[in-house]
Amino acid sequence: MSNQWIGACGVLALFVLLFLRVPVWAALMLVGVIGNTIVGGWSSSFAILGTTGFDTGSAYTLSVIPLFILMGDVASSTRLSADLFNAARVLLSGIRGGLSIAAIGAAACFGAVCGSSVATAATMTKIALPEMRKAGYDDGLATGSIAAGGSLGILIPPSIILVIYAAIAEQSVPKLFAAALIPGLVLTGIYIVVALIVAHLKPDYAPTVANVTWKERLDALRQPWQFLLLFIVTIGGIYAGVFSPTEAAAIGAFGAILLGLLGRRLTLSQMIKAIEGTVITSALLFVIIIGATLFAYFIVQTQLPVLLSSFAQSMQLNALTVMMIIVIAYVIIGCFLEGIGMVLITVPVFLPLVVKFGYDPIWFSIIVVIVVELGLIHPPVGMNLFVIQAQAPDVKLTAIYRGIIPFLIAPFLLIALLLIFPELALWLPKKLYG
Amino acid sequence: MLKFAETIKNAQLRLAMLALFVMMMIIVFDVTMRYAFSSPIHGAYDVVEVSLLVFVFHGLSACFLARQNIVIDLIDNLVPERVTHILVRLSDLITIGILALMIWAMFEPASQAFQYGDKKLELGLKLWILWSVAMAGLAGTLFCAFGALAKPVVTSHGGERM
Repeated sequence: MSNQWIGACGVLALFVLLFLRVPVWAALMLVGVIGNTIVGGWSSSFAILGTTGFDTGSAYTLSVIPLFILMGDVASSTRLSADLFNAARVLLSGIRGGLSIAAIGAAACFGAVCGSSVATAATMTKIALPEMRKAGYDDGLATGSIAAGGSLGILIPPSIILVIYAAIAEQSVPKLFAAALIPGLVLTGIYIVVALIVAHLKPDYAPTVANVTWKERLDALRQPWQFLLLFIVTIGGIYAGVFSPTEAAAIGAFGAILLGLLGRRLTLSQMIKAIEGTVITSALLFVIIIGATLFAYFIVQTQLPVLLSSFAQSMQLNALTVMMIIVIAYVIIGCFLEGIGMVLITVPVFLPLVVKFGYDPIWFSIIVVIVVELGLIHPPVGMNLFVIQAQAPDVKLTAIYRGIIPFLIAPFLLIALLLIFPELALWLPKKLYG
Repeated sequence: MLKFAETIKNAQLRLAMLALFVMMMIIVFDVTMRYAFSSPIHGAYDVVEVSLLVFVFHGLSACFLARQNIVIDLIDNLVPERVTHILVRLSDLITIGILALMIWAMFEPASQAFQYGDKKLELGLKLWILWSVAMAGLAGTLFCAFGALAKPVVTSHGGERM
């Protein structure tokens, strides 16, 4: 059996193990160790196993992960999202579907300091859903807007998934953050248009909320200043080259804690809880990254992507068809795997193939994040949908499924736009970093 | 055993939380000193790497004791609850096996770091000490993974069984 077929069997074995409920990190590590042993011998595999954990667990570049998670955890505890939603709600009052737009906009902004879709969806459900239901909004439209808006958290920088992609694909984190900004804003815009269309077609789904004066609107603009400060300092700092991503994450986390404590929005026990939550979430991610590094080493050794590439060439597939197949594969895999696992398992296999067909790895990172986002919101297993239902048990899951369907068109539309205009993702990194 | 595992987990969790706080603060001080006084803190880079190492290897025990690792639980809806319990127990054993293998595999590079006296570039800290910290963290995690064996299995069916 050739090494490439051993690689293919390894991928199959990985999916079998995952299906059998083996934890993602253990499945990756098991396949990685056994695969490396078959391909390169026990002593080499054992040596790689010995050093990978230490090297990954002490890599300066990866320290950005817990620090951004901490910033998000603290921001979630400090009613920052409530300020954002209230400001957007007042600004958009009088517009049919205004509360949906407010939920999407606030989620997009909150995602810019949080970096986690699930956390954004959970937080926005608590804040926006009661307001929307009070205003007579349809449960489907309300939860659909929140789920869709929540998914923006992993695309709009800082994005934990992009940091992980950068580690596994050896790309620059600031370039990936720059690449994600415009697609993130475009996707927010498309979600807003979808919400407006639904509200227009079904006026009873989104009753108009009473108008407010311009003075009230201007006052509302002042509310989310803390968010603006955090965003400008962290992401602005990275784009301007003032901070490295790790420095920006530390400053952001510290800033969120300081603002929370000074504004009496964060108690000491909440801060300790946020740090504890960050330890657990990050440790879960790191052990998966260690497993994925071993798995990626195995895939590289087997040259499995070469097999895929030769297969695609023998079938005379062009670059666009290959990309479409990859996107479809991601949509299907997204039904079974959670986002980070999906990225760590698939990127080592797909990235060399994609690059061989002439696509830019930075551009591809954005496609990967969009399909992961899609996986978070598409029925039957979208994590955001479950998170919303867990926060609002009296909303039927079928209503949530019905509500999200119109929004599912948006990620596909964005992928189409990125295929037609790759500069949507590539212009800003080129402009900022050459 | 479970009680002792809880004690280890609590100690490791606190250590990991402290490491995260140190990591954040050292970067904040470094950036402040660099921009305000043009005098960055010597060794900040190494402190971040060391803190991250402590954070990662000592933060794992809490996840492993609580069986919080990410799993795909699709099969729960397809097989009887008894089968799910068996699969969870098998995963517990696989986890213990891999953790033990990792610790064993780390002995060689750790002893090499001791033999050759490898050091961190800025702080001059001996690398074998860091290897020992990482291995101690994993040993605690392994103990907590054993502790998880003593805990009942809770599945998405909502069932609980020893």
